[in-house]
Amino acid sequence: MATHLEKLSTPGRKDIPVEAGEEFGILDRVLRFLGLAGAIIPTAAVLFIAAVLLVSALPSILFNGLGFLYHQSWNFGNFYSSATVTHNGIQAPTGASYGALPIIIGTLLTSIIAFVIGVPIAVGSALILVEKVPPPLRRTLSFFLELLAGIPSVVYGLWGLIVLGPFLAGHIYPILARLGAIIPWLGPPVGSGLGLLTAGLILAVMIIPIVASTTRDLLSQVPVLPREGAVALGLTSWESVRLVSLPWVFSGIVGASILGWGRALGETMAVLIVSGNGANFLPQNIYSPVSTIAATIVALLDSAESDPTGLAVSALAEAGLILMLITLATNILARLMVRRVSSTSLPIGRGV
Amino acid sequence: MRRRILDIVMWSLFGVALALVVLPAIDIIVGILAQSAGSWSPELLFTPTSGVAGGLLNAWTGTLMLMALLLIMAAPIGVLGGIYLAEFGSQRLAQILRFGSETLAGVPSIIVGYVIYLVFVVKFGWSFSALAGGIALTIMVIPYIMRSTEAALRQVPTNLREGGTALGLPPSLTIRRVLLPMALPNIMTGLVVAEAIAMGETAPLIYTAGWSNSLPTAQLIHQPIGYLTYVVWTYINQPFSQAHQLAYSAAALLLVLLLLLIGLGRLISARASRFNDRFQV
Amino acid sequence: MYSKRSLWTGMLIIATLLATLLAGCAPTSTTQTPTETQPAAGSTSVPVTGGQGNPASPVTLLETGSSLLYPLFSAWAPVIHQTYPNITIQTASTGSGTGISQAVSGVVQFGATDAYMSDSQLSKATGIINIPLAISAQQINYNLPGITTPLNLSGPILAGIYQGNIQYWDDPAIKAANPNANLPHEKIIPVHRTDGSGDTFIFTQYLSFSDSAWNSSIGYNTSVSWPAVQGELGAEGNPGVVQTLAQTPYSIGYVGISFLNEVTSKGLGTAALKNQAGSFVMPTQANISAAAAAMVPKTPKDERVSLIFAPGADSYPIINYEYVAVQTQQSDAQVAAAMRTVLLWAISPKGGNAPSFLDTVHFLPLPDTVAPLSQAQIAQIQ
Repeated sequence: MATHLEKLSTPGRKDIPVEAGEEFGILDRVLRFLGLAGAIIPTAAVLFIAAVLLVSALPSILFNGLGFLYHQSWNFGNFYSSATVTHNGIQAPTGASYGALPIIIGTLLTSIIAFVIGVPIAVGSALILVEKVPPPLRRTLSFFLELLAGIPSVVYGLWGLIVLGPFLAGHIYPILARLGAIIPWLGPPVGSGLGLLTAGLILAVMIIPIVASTTRDLLSQVPVLPREGAVALGLTSWESVRLVSLPWVFSGIVGASILGWGRALGETMAVLIVSGNGANFLPQNIYSPVSTIAATIVALLDSAESDPTGLAVSALAEAGLILMLITLATNILARLMVRRVSSTSLPIGRGV
Repeated sequence: MRRRILDIVMWSLFGVALALVVLPAIDIIVGILAQSAGSWSPELLFTPTSGVAGGLLNAWTGTLMLMALLLIMAAPIGVLGGIYLAEFGSQRLAQILRFGSETLAGVPSIIVGYVIYLVFVVKFGWSFSALAGGIALTIMVIPYIMRSTEAALRQVPTNLREGGTALGLPPSLTIRRVLLPMALPNIMTGLVVAEAIAMGETAPLIYTAGWSNSLPTAQLIHQPIGYLTYVVWTYINQPFSQAHQLAYSAAALLLVLLLLLIGLGRLISARASRFNDRFQV
Repeated sequence: MYSKRSLWTGMLIIATLLATLLAGCAPTSTTQTPTETQPAAGSTSVPVTGGQGNPASPVTLLETGSSLLYPLFSAWAPVIHQTYPNITIQTASTGSGTGISQAVSGVVQFGATDAYMSDSQLSKATGIINIPLAISAQQINYNLPGITTPLNLSGPILAGIYQGNIQYWDDPAIKAANPNANLPHEKIIPVHRTDGSGDTFIFTQYLSFSDSAWNSSIGYNTSVSWPAVQGELGAEGNPGVVQTLAQTPYSIGYVGISFLNEVTSKGLGTAALKNQAGSFVMPTQANISAAAAAMVPKTPKDERVSLIFAPGADSYPIINYEYVAVQTQQSDAQVAAAMRTVLLWAISPKGGNAPSFLDTVHFLPLPDTVAPLSQAQIAQIQ
């Protein structure tokens, strides 16, 4: 490394005029400015989307009040009757009432299942891929990870509906249901394989590539020296992974997991197909039909657009807003939880 | 002894984890290929869709066009933003911007699509168009590119930066000559994953890119564009087995494009790591 | 040296590669319109009288909306282009509500919808008219192992099932309608559409028109608040319903008639439904035609009418017009003329209403006596 830097600073090479400090001062500032612009864009986009959602959601917020958060029925009302009701100055079709509790719960539960199952599998498979699998096979298997990221969510959904759901309902869930004696919400009825657990599992399959591919890359970058040190101390390979590699890449895994969590919260089509759609009741057990905010939006946006009062689209916008708040809140929570395990003690990153 | 057993147990568990990742992938891929097997022919690739039949020319060229648009827009934004978060931003600002980006990753694609529809398609009067679709996809995947760029740069040992500073190199030079090359393979993975995710999206495109049976042209607005995921999503919902087969063919073609994309990413990464080998500490 | 280049030129390489690939493909064969692979062999490309004929310069029309009308419109598009080379139609399947709203906002010219627009919807969308293009129907399908003859079901029975009041297949109400069937004591699993759809609209309309309790508690819409029933399932799209029914014994659901072939191949049962006259009828072509004929005199000038629960001994109770929602005031006269041409061709028995098109989706043509109403409405597009 030292030799390379020496080469860089060798005077007389015209493409690296190190002594021309000012020129680089400008370059630094340009890079800094462009970087800032790039870094701001996602935040600006998210604020813009939130603003659009907030404006569209206002009628629904006024009409439904806090009940939106704890009521259990999602009812557009009758678009075909000319009669309307008015509440807080907002006009709505007769019978309209919106309660998002089941889809809020469904969103959280499916994502938690996906996270709890998906992240350990992703990290574990990345570990074995980097540490134990011989390189030629590793390359092939790594291919699969990225391939999984690009399979359309519709295809995941169809696979869940036709293959995974019936398989689980036929072979796995009945066995799992026997644990119902110990853990009540694992008990029967197991249903048809469309529901909470299946949706969570499909989401797990979908977030694995995001977490695993990042983890794999980070692990393969852990410097050789400290790991050799660990081996020299007589640690087993698992211990060297636990004590050296994992702490080294921890913050990167957290970041990737948060993105995976976000994807699970926001996934639409696949969940829509395998969730069994229980938008009007809370799940009774882990096999029960559920629905999520994102799936409800994609399923009902079409109907909502024909609400002459516009309240239906507004209610979906409010649901979307709540989803954004959930994402934000869980991200903050994750940050607070991992703050203690900071990576700054490691000789990586920007330094102090 | 207990330590040895734990070692074996842990690695076996990780092996199971790997199997759980690979088996569904194989099942899905084999399923797609088997279902589409009957319809592979030159016509599939070189004629456009017509009604709910025909080939996929308009769809795969449209997908490529959207991917190119996405790369042109999302890659610079995401990579530059990631560089800023990792190397420049003050802790506080970087944290806020990171929050923003991670929140964006959790916004359902349908919402991104619908907002782009309201703003660009309806308000700006772009109609359904390649550019509107490209913008929707860009907004969706920037967080992934930014995150992987930042993570990749953060993994670069601090002493390399210190070396740069000690030699009096300006940060931009250290970044370009030392840090980016080191981080490049991981940045490429992020780009590939982002493009892959975008390639598999349907919901945001239906409201922004529309759909077209004609080939894409250089006209970026005022003209809808075709893409493979539309065929997968819509044709699978048709009452004709012929349409179903086309849907599976579109999914298979998507896999082929993905393989090419990943391969290309690997090629660039490999060149970069040959360079990096000289750096090994 | 590699360093800087690998990233930026790497990206450039990808971008240019893709760009050249596109450039290589773009100028080829835009005029290709293969029709031989159509589900409906489009041999009936006769220009229709009354239209404006082929426009002087190329016009592109966008269609979006109903997924039931989508295969039909998609089969029409290439044949229309063949008949009138300057008209190109791009079709998309997005859902009826989207079809209406995008026709209203002017993003598309044709908004296909299974449900007619209500008065209050029209009051918010001036200048929009609903034109029927064909007639569709819906079947009630079930997965009952061992039962081979069609079950007799009625609106009140179905309303009871979907409300959770009728829970078992051997419920007295079902037994009374099927005295000879050997019904099992198994829990009924009602399947409904998760996504908003015209199928839900006409199904719930049948329940509302035939069961007053359902009408007052739930009513009809493209998406309703389904009562919480133990074991009920939501499924996405008609194929999702068919698939869910096929893999869930003792389930019941509603499926558009377009999916007749899938339903048959999966071995699902189809119910005979009780009509207004009190007889149980199957969704046969004859019974659907009978219902359509009975409703023709009740079709108003603007053609917005429900065909559900038609009178007549043979009338099948769940049929509907498939509509297209269009703006009467078009900014471009040539676009308006092209729209009239397309729609006149579509409803002509020599054009889009020919059996070669309709049979593939099991639709029926517009009755002769309704066609003039549609023609009069089409003439309003200016």
